Amino acid sequence: MDDLLNLAQKACETAVGAGAEFVDVSAGRGRSISVELEKGAIKSCDARWSTGVSVRAFVRGAQGWASSSGLDEDEALTAARTAVELAKVAQPDPDFVSLPTPAPYPTVEGLYDPRVAELHVKDLIGWAGDNVDAAKDVDPGVVVSGGAHAGWGESALVNNLGVRAASRGTHAALSIFAIVKRGDDVGSYFEFDNGRVLDDFEPDGIGAAATREAIRFLGARKIETGVLPVVFGPLASHSIFGFLCWSANAESVQRKRSYLIGRRGERIASELVTLVDDALIPRGLGSSVHDGEGFAHQPLTVVKDGVLVSWLHNSYTANKAKEPNTGHSTRGGIAPTNVNPKLGRVTAAEIIRDTKEGLYVPLGGVSPNPVSGDFSETVDFGFKIENGEIAYPVKNTMIAGHVIEFLCNLDAISSDARVEPGAIMPTVRVQNLRVAGGK
Amino acid sequence: MRELLEALRDTAKKRGAEFMDVRAMENQGTSIQLQDGRADKVSQSRSRGLGVRVLMNRAWGFASTDGYDRQRAFDCLELAMAMAKASQARLGELGALAEAPAAQDSVPPRFEKDPHSVPLADKMKLLSQYEQAAVAAGQGKLVNTVVSYSDGRERASLCNTRGTYLETESIRTMVGASMTALDGDVRQQAGERRGEQCGYELIDRLTPDEVSAKAAKRAVALLKAKRAPAGKFTVVFHPSITGLLTHEALGHNSEADLVLSGQSILEGKLGQKIASECITIIDDGTIPGSWGSYAYDSEGTASQRRVIIENGVLKGFLHSLETAAKMGVAPNGSARAQGFGNRPVVRMSNTFIVPGTMTFEELLKDIDIGVYLKGGQWGYVLCERGQYTCSAGEGYMIRNGQLAEHLRDVCISGLTLETLANADAVSRDFEMQMPGMCGKSGQGMHINAGGPHVRVRDIVVGGQE
Repeated sequence: MDDLLNLAQKACETAVGAGAEFVDVSAGRGRSISVELEKGAIKSCDARWSTGVSVRAFVRGAQGWASSSGLDEDEALTAARTAVELAKVAQPDPDFVSLPTPAPYPTVEGLYDPRVAELHVKDLIGWAGDNVDAAKDVDPGVVVSGGAHAGWGESALVNNLGVRAASRGTHAALSIFAIVKRGDDVGSYFEFDNGRVLDDFEPDGIGAAATREAIRFLGARKIETGVLPVVFGPLASHSIFGFLCWSANAESVQRKRSYLIGRRGERIASELVTLVDDALIPRGLGSSVHDGEGFAHQPLTVVKDGVLVSWLHNSYTANKAKEPNTGHSTRGGIAPTNVNPKLGRVTAAEIIRDTKEGLYVPLGGVSPNPVSGDFSETVDFGFKIENGEIAYPVKNTMIAGHVIEFLCNLDAISSDARVEPGAIMPTVRVQNLRVAGGK
Repeated sequence: MRELLEALRDTAKKRGAEFMDVRAMENQGTSIQLQDGRADKVSQSRSRGLGVRVLMNRAWGFASTDGYDRQRAFDCLELAMAMAKASQARLGELGALAEAPAAQDSVPPRFEKDPHSVPLADKMKLLSQYEQAAVAAGQGKLVNTVVSYSDGRERASLCNTRGTYLETESIRTMVGASMTALDGDVRQQAGERRGEQCGYELIDRLTPDEVSAKAAKRAVALLKAKRAPAGKFTVVFHPSITGLLTHEALGHNSEADLVLSGQSILEGKLGQKIASECITIIDDGTIPGSWGSYAYDSEGTASQRRVIIENGVLKGFLHSLETAAKMGVAPNGSARAQGFGNRPVVRMSNTFIVPGTMTFEELLKDIDIGVYLKGGQWGYVLCERGQYTCSAGEGYMIRNGQLAEHLRDVCISGLTLETLANADAVSRDFEMQMPGMCGKSGQGMHINAGGPHVRVRDIVVGGQE
């Protein structure tokens, strides 16, 4: 990766020479292979090479950004000069203070696995094919789509304050979407596995699991409008907690367009909810040693016992607020990395058994209006719970509410959870949710 | 460029490819964001590269690379052929291509004023005017103002083994605004955008009243709006929601690749009555200047006006060369790729419901209690089940045939075939102002959608009251 570092360094120096007061440059390359399934067969095998350079230059706080594909030095230096020209034209921002300065980086194991980087498309075909066969063993008529993907990437980040970082990573994934039909009655479901290292990638059983779940969605019924408790399965709770941490974005708060404004230090969720964002989890899908600006990652508690305790900062928002940088820059925005909740004391099965009448949502969640906090969602994958048991799938059903009221009504988090690299995903229950039904 | 692409094509032929196409694409874009009084972020991007697709022994392979380096381009061809060979390992239905005439053409961009000829300072001044108009319209209640401008130029060359060689160029220009208003502890946001396939003349035609001031007024009005009700209602859709509904509920299901792969509820229904007689749905990629228009699709088939539903009867699907061959029909120019790194897939262009004869007031007249939804934002569909969701930025209760209380943002959910059958009235007005990007197969694609006002019985409204 020395060539990437050297290219980024040259572009950085060019930008400074052109008048940038602050500048950072990212240069990267990657390669991916993928296999697409259609009706249980290979539709196409694809391969992609990608390279690129992007330069962010600041003059009196105004930001100019220029990017170009390829790693040609002339084009990279042109991008550097263009970024400075744009920054000079843009209007100054007095709230900009500085980009990050160099600091030691932590170590995170398992972000790159040469065995994943060396995967051949035949490996992907094998995994995809085996899962199609397993799906057909469950239901010979199942319609299988989806596919497999593997890739590696490496990148360099340099800024004019001395940050000089290089990183590389690998990723493998398999997803199967299964559709089963009985006349006009259709059930469908999605299952997947992915990992940064080969040991975490367990493709066996994905196709069969997706098909078994798809069958469970046959015979969906419309239900009455009402107020019900809703149990959210692991993938749904992961979505809910991830969105909450994403909403703790300091830029949205500083720009006065967040439903969380004024709520730091306040209860925003049930006291069962504690959320930690940790980019240092070995092998985590969202893991890395530094953020998009080269600031060292560290774990951050975002919600503790239901109280919002931290904003997610990048260098700009942290300096503006005169608070510590939390290392959540995406170099263009702010985002969490690996969000994990504290687990509860009852099992997922006990939560469902304890629900006399309600809904079970294995996949979906809520993604509220980030400004108002209101949400209105279709239950695309949901079951009716009756007398503590999952009774039948539902269709044409929606849930709605305000996200803080929703989180405060969360009354159970399971002790057991689905575990994916970097993510622990429990089952949760929320009481008193408005449900709109098509019956 | 032409020499390189034809050399690749000739090599593919010699190596035994039954079909090969190569697309070279170059994109350049500029964007400016003015937020809370300062245009402090200006960016420019540039990318270029090649995508090679081959069909060998009836199996597909694809490979792409950045840049136009000759050696990399030939490596890319080798890789695409290796991918095709790998695909044979578990081939299902054999790859096929419909007959289509070779196209030789050069299509210049459509613009009056090249956006690149306009200094950045002028564009920033324009955004300042848009923001000032929003602030003036915001009654002192705006707490965050964002106004943005973008323009993009795309140059594409397509060469295939059937003798097609096309050079096309397009320019798109867009201006948008997002306003956040606050009153007490109620915070609401509204957005507007206008985008066309044209140059800077779009900006000369528009006024801030149509974009930023409109967004500001709506954000402020929403502060006093009520939460929407929950349950099943007769709903009247504004053209923006009609566009979402048409695109999501029906449009995706009419994409022939989804039909062939068993993922569409329209499989086996061609020629059948699947909608109310008042419903005629068109996908038209030839509308001059519209965001979703194009001269040729990414396989070199000329763009067309495609009838999907006519008076309630399913008349046809959207096709690529391959889906047309497999269904035994003529291709209709619907295969598009986002960039050089993507394979063409079947996509919509500008999708709409054809207007009827009624007035908006006549649509409302017979409704005792219902919901009028407008401000279309986004949507999605589970094609295989025909269950869709559309998001409305605002709405109104309908009471005794009249618009009543103003409502906040809310989503609706429906089942495509039920909705099409329950649509019982279509107005004579028409609007198609939904320039945006549609996601499918990991690719974003320029589309537009719209139509008249449409009345539909028994729609589930996901409100809180």
